[in-house]
Amino acid sequence: MTTTTITTMTTPAWAVGVSTGVHSAGSRDVVYVPDNPLSHVLRVFEQQFRDVRLYLATREEEAFGIAAGLYLGGRRPTVMLQSSGLGNSLNAVTSLLMPYQIPVLMVVSMRGDSGDWNAAQMPMGRAVRGIFESLGVPHTTVESATQACETVRCAGKTAFGTRTSLACLLPRKVTTGS
Amino acid sequence: MNRVEATRVIVQLAGDAPIVASLGHPAYDLFAAGDRPQNFYTWGSMGLASSIGLGLALARPDVRVIVLDGDGSLLMNLGSLATIGLLHPANLVVVVMDNQEYATTGGQPTPTAHGADLEAAARAMGISASATVRTEDELRRAMESTRLIVAKVKESAPTAKPPLDCVFIKQRFMAAIGNPEMATQGESL
Repeated sequence: MTTTTITTMTTPAWAVGVSTGVHSAGSRDVVYVPDNPLSHVLRVFEQQFRDVRLYLATREEEAFGIAAGLYLGGRRPTVMLQSSGLGNSLNAVTSLLMPYQIPVLMVVSMRGDSGDWNAAQMPMGRAVRGIFESLGVPHTTVESATQACETVRCAGKTAFGTRTSLACLLPRKVTTGS
Repeated sequence: MNRVEATRVIVQLAGDAPIVASLGHPAYDLFAAGDRPQNFYTWGSMGLASSIGLGLALARPDVRVIVLDGDGSLLMNLGSLATIGLLHPANLVVVVMDNQEYATTGGQPTPTAHGADLEAAARAMGISASATVRTEDELRRAMESTRLIVAKVKESAPTAKPPLDCVFIKQRFMAAIGNPEMATQGESL
């Protein structure tokens, strides 16, 4: 009981905003590959949005395949991944989601942006926005914890309303405070 | 049995069940064996047919979902076996057309030609209802209750290609399985 209270109290506001935004966009299915900041979002789903189904994938490309199947079955899927996994998923994005016009709300936890300490994360971190732009995948950035809900909700509304996959980036300055 | 013969057996047994086909020859043979709105032909995303089928099976537990995969394709996404083993939806059956070669790209041998065992891999990942079949009768029996079927097939030259319009494939498919994407009426102002 005490543990639960502490956990709830330490849940960061940005994570509550992201989960509320996903939920408000009508998404009840989240396919994810684990990431440290995103673990907070998963916990909010588990504690506050019990109607959201969470599915673990072994790899980002697989996550997008599962999400595409969920959409074909009438759901509004969200995929949560770390930006380093974007490279693993490009074939699914370009040869499945885009030509078939299958909408997925992508929630991308950034590595390799301002505040990162790991050289191995930097090249992809720098490239993420350029990759989305060259593909023609719209992307938006959560600028602060207070804007998280609205940014994610709007991205989801556009994704599912226009059948366009769309990415919401979560910078480290927001997710880790660094 | 060759691949198109095996595909005909699956279409015969499918009834109204949706079939998700991997790109290239599995999709071509599905079209040749019997084009139907409940066929989802992929034109890319090699390896993801079983993942698409899994997502569909999770979204629609009321519907039996059949996946037509290839050995080369499944080898590109072996993690899918672990995820299917973890979630074990009772309404999903994955049929791997194992011709032991990358036929669509010119017949290069796959690891299954050298002993890689996809049924054993599936069992190891928790899909205990797995089987390897070599005849049409074995395939028919396996389709009754097996979750992952490795169908050892001879390569057969495809004779037709499915529609090229991906959005058409999707919208026809979704309408046929009861998730119509096309709006049937406008919204009031």
